[in-house]
Amino acid sequence: MRFSDIIAMSAGNLWKRKVRTILTVLGVMIGTASIVVMLSLGIGLKSAMLGEIQSQGSMTDIQVYNYNIYGSGDAKQMTDETMEEFLAIEHVKSATPLLTTWITMEQGKWRTDQQLIGAPQEYLQQIPLAEGSSYPATGTNKLELLVGNGVICDFYNPSNYEYPYYDNGELADVDFINRTVFTKFESVYTTDAEGNYIEQPSRRNIFPVVGMVEGGVEDYNTYCWNVYTDLDALKKYLQDTYRGKAIPGQPTDRNGNPYRYFCYENAIVSVDDMENVEAVQAAISEMGFEATSEMEWIQSAQQEMLIVEAVLGGIGAISLFVAAIGIANTMMMSIYERTKEIGVMKVLGCSLGNIRTMFLTEAAFIGFIGGIIGLIISYVLSFVCNLVLPDLVGYGDAKISLIPVWLVLLAILFSTLIGMLAGFFPAQRATKLSPLAAIRNE
Amino acid sequence: MEKQNVVVEVEDLYKIYKVGTNKVRALNGVSFQVYEGEFCAIVGTSGSGKSTLLNMLAGLEHPTKGQIAIRGQHIETMNEKQLVTFRREHVGFIFQSFNLMGTMTTIENVALPLTFRGMPKKERLKRAERMVKLVGLEKHKKHKPNQMSGGQQQRVGMARALVLNPDIVFADEPTGNLDSVTSAEMMNLMRNVVNKHHKTLVMVTHDNQLASYADRIIHIKDGKILRIEDNKDKRKEASAVSEED
Repeated sequence: MRFSDIIAMSAGNLWKRKVRTILTVLGVMIGTASIVVMLSLGIGLKSAMLGEIQSQGSMTDIQVYNYNIYGSGDAKQMTDETMEEFLAIEHVKSATPLLTTWITMEQGKWRTDQQLIGAPQEYLQQIPLAEGSSYPATGTNKLELLVGNGVICDFYNPSNYEYPYYDNGELADVDFINRTVFTKFESVYTTDAEGNYIEQPSRRNIFPVVGMVEGGVEDYNTYCWNVYTDLDALKKYLQDTYRGKAIPGQPTDRNGNPYRYFCYENAIVSVDDMENVEAVQAAISEMGFEATSEMEWIQSAQQEMLIVEAVLGGIGAISLFVAAIGIANTMMMSIYERTKEIGVMKVLGCSLGNIRTMFLTEAAFIGFIGGIIGLIISYVLSFVCNLVLPDLVGYGDAKISLIPVWLVLLAILFSTLIGMLAGFFPAQRATKLSPLAAIRNE
Repeated sequence: MEKQNVVVEVEDLYKIYKVGTNKVRALNGVSFQVYEGEFCAIVGTSGSGKSTLLNMLAGLEHPTKGQIAIRGQHIETMNEKQLVTFRREHVGFIFQSFNLMGTMTTIENVALPLTFRGMPKKERLKRAERMVKLVGLEKHKKHKPNQMSGGQQQRVGMARALVLNPDIVFADEPTGNLDSVTSAEMMNLMRNVVNKHHKTLVMVTHDNQLASYADRIIHIKDGKILRIEDNKDKRKEASAVSEED
């Protein structure tokens, strides 16, 4: 038999028993719709979550810390050489050292202690700037500063240790751009012959503030709590200013002399793809440094989402399973009803394979049509979910229910397959019916 | 008598059913031949084994013992799959209760066996149309079975059996559901097809009067052949008499 004839006959048989076909299709439709909507919720929630993470920083960056920077002489240090080692690890795109040191900033009666980060230009250039700002220049003798948008909250009055922002919710009267800010590196301590610490206070400097990080006082971002400057400029400045002496923020050897190179407390290693973050992170840990990335909690969050998705999908799957039983039941009844017809077809020479295919096609049709209508319903439900739910859950305008193309194709394929699976046993039964049924007269 | 080709050869056929612990011999050693171009009737009362015999000839039931050859092919050794293929290629079947597909028109019903052969639609409809014309139902070719009388339906059944151009046509009480006038029409049509188109037809009936349309009558009782009656000459006399009237 030609396949087109089989399709036509199956469709004809379904059409002949319209009500029953529609009821069975209804079951598949509900099953498909519940699976698709449930999965779409899982997918939507996940992508909303990932979007949230992405907005807070790059997911392919690994933060490397060396908390042992002031440790004993043999302690492993992170230097420019180490950066080369990082770059040699597979999948590493770039390794950016951050030179950190503490500074005190003063204006009027207000004072704050901040971390000054010397970063390479490519790192600085990605920081979003407030209007009218520029990036700290490289290759100059003067240090230019870029100030985080939250730094102003940290100012206090040294005479009474009052924090106007944290205590009263008022901002200190500080203007980085238009008024002079005095900046001081932290004091360096050395030991004398008797083993007493000697403080060597640093000078007050005027470093121009050339820019502010974009955002209001309360807008959190990765850069809001720090002060930035160019790495090379900072290195040059420190080396020139503290020639032959201990450099603030840098370790010294046993005799209290500085090293010839800079040691970093923090570096950022960029990886080419999210999937490789974990491996690179492990390699860096192996080298004896502390490595953290967003991946760790993304992974745990993803695992949680997977459970949510599985539960949601499971609920949908149950209804599709019930629908499958419905299909099997319908096909079974249809076969008993058509015992005689099947017998006649056998007497007239319809092959067993054709009979099986015919019934499988009927069952597949029910699954297929139910799948398609179920998808249409899913789109409507998904639209309603996106209209109503985000306000309730608090994801803003993110879509909470997403139906990707693969889900559409999978749903149709799956419902058709379920139909065929449910129809397989009845179809097998049909081939076993005796042709003698055609002869019997009732 | 000229040498005739044997279409069906039955030899020493047995069919034994087990009912509880009893063995029922539905067929108890039957042997006969059916020749090409012959209208052969198998007559017997109900329970005589005539239907069992027909079922086995058409390959719907397996014999317990014995041989059935249709055009030299032994069907008693075939499995279900081979039998279906065999029927599709060689056998036409007319049912007592017509057994037309309710959703199909006359022409589609007639073309059905050709559909099973995988013949393209255009060609099978053309062939079906020729058969519909042969049984005189051109006016009803677009009708569904429930729009036609029993006699018309059985003509459709007959066209369907003939459309394959089979080696042999089996008819199981073809007039069992028809009144006597329509029955006579039907028998004449069958006679006509056998004569004009040189078909071989085996009919099962319990009615001696209907059997008299056949060339040869096999009387069967309790699973055994009572006698085989050559009816050709008698029929000629009868038709001569009726012409004189």
